[in-house]
Amino acid sequence: MILTQFLVLGAVLFSLGIYGLLSRRNAVTVLLAVELMLAAVNINLVAFEAFWNTPAAHGQIFAIFVITIAAAEVGIGLAIILLVFRNRASGNVDELDLLKW
Amino acid sequence: MSEYFQDYVAVAAFAAFGLVLVVLTLGITYLVRPSNPTKEKVTTYECGVDPVGEGWNHTFIRYYIFGLLFVVFDVEAVFLFPWAVAAESLGVPGMIAVVIFILTLLEGLLYAVRKGVLKWE
Amino acid sequence: MDLDYHALAPEIVVAATILLVLGLDVALPRRRKYWTAFAGVVGLTLAAVPLVTLALGGGPGARSMLGGGYVVDDFALVLKAVFIAGGYLVLLMSVSYIESDRYYQGEYYLLLLTSILGSLIMASSRDLITVFVGLELVTGPLFLLAGWRKGDARSNEASLKFFILGVLSTAVLLYGMSFLYGLTGSVTFEGIRTAGAGLLDSGAFRLAVLFTLIGFGFKITAVPFHFWAPDTYEGAPTPVTAYLSVGSKAAGFVGLLLLCYRAFPSVTEIWGPALWVLAALSMTLGNLTALRQDNIVRMLAYSSIAQGGFILVPFAAAAVTNDPLVIQEAASATIVYVIIYAFMNLGAFAVVIEGARRTGTSMIDGWAGMWRYAPRLAVLGAVFFFSLAGIPPLAGWYAKFAMFLAILRPGNPWTAALAVIAAVNAVIALVYYARVGKTMWMDPLPDGASDGERTARPMSGALALALGISVIFVILAGVLPFQLAGVFAEAAKVVTAGI
Repeated sequence: MILTQFLVLGAVLFSLGIYGLLSRRNAVTVLLAVELMLAAVNINLVAFEAFWNTPAAHGQIFAIFVITIAAAEVGIGLAIILLVFRNRASGNVDELDLLKW
Repeated sequence: MSEYFQDYVAVAAFAAFGLVLVVLTLGITYLVRPSNPTKEKVTTYECGVDPVGEGWNHTFIRYYIFGLLFVVFDVEAVFLFPWAVAAESLGVPGMIAVVIFILTLLEGLLYAVRKGVLKWE
Repeated sequence: MDLDYHALAPEIVVAATILLVLGLDVALPRRRKYWTAFAGVVGLTLAAVPLVTLALGGGPGARSMLGGGYVVDDFALVLKAVFIAGGYLVLLMSVSYIESDRYYQGEYYLLLLTSILGSLIMASSRDLITVFVGLELVTGPLFLLAGWRKGDARSNEASLKFFILGVLSTAVLLYGMSFLYGLTGSVTFEGIRTAGAGLLDSGAFRLAVLFTLIGFGFKITAVPFHFWAPDTYEGAPTPVTAYLSVGSKAAGFVGLLLLCYRAFPSVTEIWGPALWVLAALSMTLGNLTALRQDNIVRMLAYSSIAQGGFILVPFAAAAVTNDPLVIQEAASATIVYVIIYAFMNLGAFAVVIEGARRTGTSMIDGWAGMWRYAPRLAVLGAVFFFSLAGIPPLAGWYAKFAMFLAILRPGNPWTAALAVIAAVNAVIALVYYARVGKTMWMDPLPDGASDGERTARPMSGALALALGISVIFVILAGVLPFQLAGVFAEAAKVVTAGI
């Protein structure tokens, strides 16, 4: 069982996600970046699960919960982005400047 | 080569077979079929509707709402698979739990219907 | 399935209430929607009943389920009681606020109750999966609640900022958790503690612990992970802000408490200094920024960041010692602080809601001379703000007292330094809390405001009830703190057991 490759894949995906989250202006792209990070987590979990190979399969159960909750969060996120878009006619996160420190 | 990579030989074989299949069928039809292009025929196929405008097009906002609903309900179904695998050993209590789970989802669907989300206007 | 339905009863009752509220919302015509609020209040009251029977019933000390991943013990019971009480207060505060908006009442209570259910789950969770599900159940509905006023661009913005940073923190937390699971082969806190003792030299394990802490840092709005909080607090409807600053924050602290004390006792040299820095930064930056705020909600946002710093202080004490009694005292100090903070902060927000309704502004200057037209509200405001400042005999003093006791106990130079920082901050905090009191009591009425106009609108009964409950708690806990502390010490014993 080769674990390292999966962890490297996970780390690369996670880093890409963070990069996308910090560098992109479009809120939908930011959402995609977050999904990338959660995918990295799932890869890690399933890889570790295969590595430990315990009968309880906690890694896979964890991954299922991550998948479902990620979907719910995307639902919430898209709803919020739609709302912002409706009121401001723009989906760019850097134009949110009504509230300042 | 490790055993781990040997497992992937089957995958590679299937991929190669799939590729050959596509090339073969498309190649044979290319040789056999008559070629008579008209304007109608070379347009992009888009669910039977005439394509209008650019590829980068604003999608009707309603699609998002359907998409959201679909994603949420589709993903909740993931929980049914582990139960289905262990359904026999979980017995009646497991069955009751799953029924409650589905009823909860149904209540959510009922809510969506009552709010008119699924109405197409 | 080995489920203990008696132990799960509070969660089941709240979950049933959520389904009932959704059903009522679908079935009722628009002008009867207030029944959903009624159902929510009744449901939460009913959920408290099994808590009492569990606490009095004795029986097995801890009821463990799901392979040790879900445990109902004294710690869980105490915190569930606090979460239910806090949720109850927020619900009461919301009634008139949401009814005046006249839309989506049912959904509001549905989301609020869902968040409360999540915090109940947090209190019982003893493995990574349950903590994660509980935490998401707490924050998920809050993203939507923060953006409640759909047409208001500020509310939208509050919601989107909260959402983006919320999911970022979740992703970081999960990445850390995936490595915790991967390195220890276990998702339960007990398993991680046992296996973690053998991973002291593993850099990956240390990194995983840090990632987890960062994830929780966002949830408890510790500086430097606080940037979303003031904006979200200001943009969200005020009852939601009250819940954000208390319910979701307390849930974050519960998770942090469980992780640090139960899962990571072997790596105190990682989380000890990290939380030391977070505590010092949160207190100092939170307080200094709060000094400069004109908007009372924003001031309370920074004040809640600073209070979060105070809550973090005892962690630093627990990290530098091996003495189980000192560790237990530190855990107890955190629990006491979270609980007292919950009540006094909710009270302060109830005053803000009512004050903003009377004066039509949440700017501190607009509240000048409030005692002339709303003397009772001005008294209550003074009570809660001075309690937040930590002035005896109001509950806040005991929270700070327990915190200082815990941090001074180990007698280590680092913890002593943190105690000094905390003491300086307590004084700074007094300045801005007292400023609100001074404005309400001593400043003249703003120009063009007449007494009669501002007295004309009576307070709603539900809000008055919320104010009454919190003021009674704040005064009782301040006068009889040691009786209260006895209960929390029991809870702390459970958290720190076996370290």
